[in-house]
Amino acid sequence: MAAGTNKPLLSVRDLVVEFETDQGVLRAVDGVSFDIHAGETLGLVGESGCGKTVTGLSILGLVPSPPGRIVSGRILLEGSDLAGMDEVGLRKIRGSKVSMIFQEPMTALNPVFRIGNQMRDVLQRHQGLTRLQAHSAAIEILAKVGIPEPAVRVEDYPHQLSGGMRQRVMIAMALSCGPKLLVADEPTTALDVTTQAQVLEQIVRLQQEFGMAMLLVTHDLGVVAETCRHAVVMYCGRIVESSSIDELFARPRHPYTTGLLASIPRATEERGDELPVIPGMVPDLLHLPRGCAFADRCPKAHERCRQSVPHLDLLQSTRTSVACYEPNA
Amino acid sequence: MEVLQYIVRKLIAGIPLVLGVTLISFVLIVYFGPDKTYELLGKNPTAEEIAEIRSQLGYDQPFTTRYLDYLREVIRLEFGNSESTDEKVSSILARTIPTSLALAIPGFILGNLLGVMLALVAAYFRGYWIDKFIMGFAAVGMSISFLIAIIGFQILLSSSDGLDLLPVRGWDTSTPLQYIRYVTVPTLATVFVALGYNTRFYRAVIVEEMTRDHVRTARAFGVPPAQLFYRNILKNSMIPIVTRIMFSIPVIVISGSLLLESYFGIPGVGKVTYDAIVTGDQPILKAVVVLTAVLFVVAQLLADICYRIVDPRVSLK
Amino acid sequence: MSARADTVGAHGDSLWSKAFRKFRHDRVGMWSLAVVLAYAIVALGVVLGVWATDWAEVSGPKWSPASVEYWFGTNIIGQDIFARSLYSTRTAFEVGLLVALGATALGALLGAIAGFFSGTWIDELIIWVMGVLDSVPFILLVAAIAYTLQGSPWAMHIAMISTFWIGTARLIRGEVIKLKSLEYVEAAQAIGVNRLMIIFRHILPNTFHILLVQATLSFVAAIKSEVILSFLGLGVKDGMSWGLMISESTFEVLAGFFNNFLAASVLMFGLVMAFNMFSDALQDALDPRTVK
Ligand SMILES: Nc1ncnc2c1ncn2[C@@H]1O[C@H](COP(=O)(O)OP(=O)(O)OP(=O)(O)O)[C@@H](O)[C@H]1O
Ligand SMILES: [Mg+2]
Repeated sequence: MAAGTNKPLLSVRDLVVEFETDQGVLRAVDGVSFDIHAGETLGLVGESGCGKTVTGLSILGLVPSPPGRIVSGRILLEGSDLAGMDEVGLRKIRGSKVSMIFQEPMTALNPVFRIGNQMRDVLQRHQGLTRLQAHSAAIEILAKVGIPEPAVRVEDYPHQLSGGMRQRVMIAMALSCGPKLLVADEPTTALDVTTQAQVLEQIVRLQQEFGMAMLLVTHDLGVVAETCRHAVVMYCGRIVESSSIDELFARPRHPYTTGLLASIPRATEERGDELPVIPGMVPDLLHLPRGCAFADRCPKAHERCRQSVPHLDLLQSTRTSVACYEPNA
Repeated sequence: MEVLQYIVRKLIAGIPLVLGVTLISFVLIVYFGPDKTYELLGKNPTAEEIAEIRSQLGYDQPFTTRYLDYLREVIRLEFGNSESTDEKVSSILARTIPTSLALAIPGFILGNLLGVMLALVAAYFRGYWIDKFIMGFAAVGMSISFLIAIIGFQILLSSSDGLDLLPVRGWDTSTPLQYIRYVTVPTLATVFVALGYNTRFYRAVIVEEMTRDHVRTARAFGVPPAQLFYRNILKNSMIPIVTRIMFSIPVIVISGSLLLESYFGIPGVGKVTYDAIVTGDQPILKAVVVLTAVLFVVAQLLADICYRIVDPRVSLK
Repeated sequence: MSARADTVGAHGDSLWSKAFRKFRHDRVGMWSLAVVLAYAIVALGVVLGVWATDWAEVSGPKWSPASVEYWFGTNIIGQDIFARSLYSTRTAFEVGLLVALGATALGALLGAIAGFFSGTWIDELIIWVMGVLDSVPFILLVAAIAYTLQGSPWAMHIAMISTFWIGTARLIRGEVIKLKSLEYVEAAQAIGVNRLMIIFRHILPNTFHILLVQATLSFVAAIKSEVILSFLGLGVKDGMSWGLMISESTFEVLAGFFNNFLAASVLMFGLVMAFNMFSDALQDALDPRTVK
């Protein structure tokens, strides 16, 4: 919450990530920059395939390689660059200073070990606890994330738990070493609606209790509205808008953000996937147009938009940045 | 108790398979098999003599009666005596199976162990030149005929045109050194060929497991590579590995060594089987076929029990 | 219903055209195909009587080394090893093609029937047959079939077909179970289209990519089995094959004459290796996961 002039906890600068595919080189993340301050939550939103997960993975040096590669950019965590760090260094940070929870709780845990075993493993490695200490620490944190009868559940295998419970176990594991930053990659997308709300609430509560910073990746602007102060919007690997939540909802500057907002389901409506959507299709990342990637779907696009890519610039007299030649007023 | 019930249930479920195999072996080996009448008769037999022998052999009985007789033999495990040596079939098997095992086991173990190791290296460096090199080597192993590998290693190690270090053929296990001298060439040929298939198989399995979500999770929590390999990859690929190993057991016990044994003149089951094929020695053939089928049922059972041990999601139901 | 069937058909077409394009860019795949075709031309030449017509003639001295007249030398009784190698190529293709076609067709048919009737006794019966045939040692089956057919030269082919179909059938069965639940198949069933029609018109064509790969695998397996069976005296009876050449050569090798052995081994290795690589490239090209 202490956003301000002091140095950010995490500072991503001009991150570029590419994948080598059979059809050619695919640029999944293209020049992404953002800051996260200690204790603050940043929302990262965008449609499926726009590079959110890859951005999150880059922070922990987990981009699958081959085929993927961080081509350039810096990822500064408390001043040290994670993008250039070797595996041994990264391993010390993963799960202790920075944790990540994933989109797919059903498959994210190792099916052949008890959850207690998997949690102990993390605690013993990073905290140097004994087996017994780690065991009670694991039970304690399982209780914190709202798992009933944690002392019993700790002996379960992942397949004996529901999706919501598994995601809670993941959260417990992620928080167990008291990380400074949590990368939460669509932590509730795969859960049913009621569980979604509970799990989200839990995450936010624990985040405040632990005082850690969070990068919350989601394609759901509703979730962002409830949890973040600030958000960045991604489209085809680039950030198109970066703004405070209040600004974002009141005055979306980028036409893509406007479109995204229009497609949020109203609380009164039945949740469905076919709300007023943005016309046209997301372009193929292998064959991006020369200019703005959104130009073909944009009602305001003109010649210049098709010729060159707009930079992410700070709008005068606001704290909003937008990459558009014709931002909304 | 639960396990015992399970075993019994599984063995009962294996009965149709064994019955099917006995039916096939009966039809092909006995019913349509070579007619033994004239081998048992003197010169210029009379019609009565022929008829008598045929009735002794049961050739005048209907199909079902003969099949049921055959089944009775199988159930009592009485296969009679070899027609060429008159030794009891059971004692022949008891004598030769250990030889076959002694011949096959080193190649089997090395072939799988090295296969897993090479597969691991290839999978870890997948896409790089070392992967391509290993997989190219595997492709060569897969494309070379087992027979050619045998002859090739024999020329290389046992002939005066090669290194001339090891015996050309035969078998001797009187001392460990002799055993090693005789088992080396067959083992090298086996490993060379098996390695091709094994490496490819294990690489596919390992790569599949390496790309699973839980591997990424483990890495996200700082798990080091050795532990990642053991806890996330190997433990999770045990099911296909166990399946492959279990189901090769019947083959290595019975017929896998047939070529090796007949080529090198090694007195194992494979050689006995081959000789029985050549001479039409029905009691031995029947016993070998049935034994193989029973071993398959047992292998299936062992595999199922191993699945239960390696994967908590599998239950003995 | 037909609209749905059409879209699936269109998907099938794009699978094939994309696979074709991908294969054309696969250098190893194209080279291996070229090698296989070269062997095929050799085999065809033998069938048409263009070359290797004198493979059985005793035309020269025993064990003459390679020369202009006898490219690969002569064997123990003075037959031309080069001619015999070419003739054996023909045999390899004959065995490979017959077995691949037979085993793939049988596997497709029985696999599709088992899959379509999955859960009924028909399926159980076919699974049982597969299990039984799988548990009979292959070489014994060959010998037993040879007995039953009283030494027919086709015993080997029949034995191979009667075991090689099983792998194909298992794959096709699984695929058909998947395809069966697709809307257009269900719709066809609902309006009472004949079951066999459904299998042959709607389901099997969609498994063709699996059959193609399986056929290449059977081809290779057949050639490799032929060599071992012929060596053991259970394979090719009249004619000449790489297996018979190697069988002849075992005495020669111990006497230090390698031409027969080398000719058969190298030629066989070349064909099998090329076919394996071709098969790999084909699988890559047809893999729906990589066809994007
Ligand atoms: N292993 C990979 N190999 C090749 N391309 C990849 C790989 N992983 C991701 N990509 C590509 O990178 C792009 C961004 O993927 P990413 O998973 O970051 O999207 P996302 O925004 O998280 O989408 P979603 O909302 O579906 O999770 C995609 O177009 C994808 O095709
Ligand atoms: Mg994602």
